[in-house]
Amino acid sequence: MSAARTKLVEMDEAIGVIKDGMSLTAGGFAHSHQPMALTRAIIRRGVRNLTIMGVAECWVAEYLAAAGAIGQAYMSNFMFEGFGRCRRFSEAVETGEIATEDHSHFGMICRLQAAGLGLPFMPIRAMSGTDIIERPGFEDAAAKSRRIESPFGGEAVRVVSPLKPDVAIIHAARADLDGNVQLFGATSVLEEQARAASHVIVSVEEIVSADVIRRQPELTILPGLLVDALVHLPYGAHPTGVYGYYDHDAAHLGEYYQASRDREATDGYLRRWVFEMEDHWSYLDAIGMSSLLRLRVDPALGSKLAARPS
Amino acid sequence: MTESLDVTRDELMAVAASREIRDGDLAFIGTGLPMVAAYLAKATHAPNVKLMFESGIIDPKPRELASGVGDYRLALGSPKIAGMAYALSLLQGGRVDLGFLGTAEIDAYGNLNSTVIGPYRHPKVRLAGSGGANDIASMAGRFVIIARLDRRRFVEKLSYLTTPGFLTGPGAREAAGLPGGGPARVITDLAVLGFDPASKRMRIEELFAGVTAAEVQERCGFELMKAPGIAESALPTANQLDLLRRVIDPDGIYLKP
Repeated sequence: MSAARTKLVEMDEAIGVIKDGMSLTAGGFAHSHQPMALTRAIIRRGVRNLTIMGVAECWVAEYLAAAGAIGQAYMSNFMFEGFGRCRRFSEAVETGEIATEDHSHFGMICRLQAAGLGLPFMPIRAMSGTDIIERPGFEDAAAKSRRIESPFGGEAVRVVSPLKPDVAIIHAARADLDGNVQLFGATSVLEEQARAASHVIVSVEEIVSADVIRRQPELTILPGLLVDALVHLPYGAHPTGVYGYYDHDAAHLGEYYQASRDREATDGYLRRWVFEMEDHWSYLDAIGMSSLLRLRVDPALGSKLAARPS
Repeated sequence: MTESLDVTRDELMAVAASREIRDGDLAFIGTGLPMVAAYLAKATHAPNVKLMFESGIIDPKPRELASGVGDYRLALGSPKIAGMAYALSLLQGGRVDLGFLGTAEIDAYGNLNSTVIGPYRHPKVRLAGSGGANDIASMAGRFVIIARLDRRRFVEKLSYLTTPGFLTGPGAREAAGLPGGGPARVITDLAVLGFDPASKRMRIEELFAGVTAAEVQERCGFELMKAPGIAESALPTANQLDLLRRVIDPDGIYLKP
């Protein structure tokens, strides 16, 4: 047997496939495992007019919106736990820069699942009777969902059409060179996103040997056959966290959130933390080792405990 | 009543919300007061409630209150951690008894808006969007809304109907094909509201100590019905307050003064 060609590539090669006008879905949930290093690199490349097919990648959507990279968004919910609205994303919707098409979370998931399974539609119980169905955004209502009679009789059921992103960007814990990817903790919508997307880019905290993966294959969320490009980006989710590795950087997220109150301050943030960084390594240097080390979690708990005496 | 002076509005709401949880329920819980209410219920009258979170964390035993459903500290002691699709598939499968929701706007039928203020395509304010709220309201056996009374929140007409309550009234959920039972209660900072069984319109069911029905109506943008025999809501017990303040949320993450 010949060894499989390695999936490991440099950042530039990985994200070079992302072009103006493409559709993009991204991993992450709340302040966890958002592919932020990949997102910063996409912004630095100046990609424009992306269509987001998003579920919980609030920080990715916010940064891309702040950089003016999003034209439209199929979405279910973008907000920051503990902070509030995604201000740059929201303002871009308010000014008409970003057109939206709303769903429930499960509505988005079902559309991604339909694409992943190669099906023309997926039945769903939720969303009926609401403006999510009745008041379309940029998409024709009849192209988004219909209510049909069940072919097996007895009831009508809502169905939604597939959404197939051109590219999925995902950050996870570790992978081997074949692109077998593992993530600990809650896994958001990664599996559905990866199955749906035409091209899957994954960044990981650690590259490990195939033996490490094969010792606990039940932890693998994406087998290498679903992964097109793998990038080694330690702290690649920063300022969000990775379960079992590091907590989200609340101070840095707060710095962004404060800046996002106004356009110029946001531009200043992007200049400082995105455009002036040559690459991910200069970003980590700028954040600083002590800041990064302080975010490390207890590997047994997967998290930090608050410093409160019991 | 004098004791009520020592109890904050958040505590009253958390305790009232916890009473909505029945022992043995599978409850879908979000960030904020629902988390506090759920752990209070678990520590008191509903030790067998199972909690599920949108992030895919099922029935954990965290050592301390999480700052959100994505907080890693929430995962500790969970027998199953999966993803969002898994958590929401259990909801669609009809296994979830109860969910809690917040909202930017609510109308008399318990329909909610968390999407936009103003027109959808050019909103005055873009809000977060449904997230799992529509899924919970569509599917859960019943759901409870937690919202402070305010005429801008309790409105005659929503800017956008994100999440189904009773839609346009009796029979509307059934006609739309929504299997869940719909909204059961609305926990506010002045009163516990519910829904008239015949008309499905919102009504006053319990008042917090010292509050009048007129005060509640004054802060509501639509006409509230009155349940036959409006009760005074039971004050939190010393044990409930002690649990809230010393055990569940000692740092005041969600319970604000």
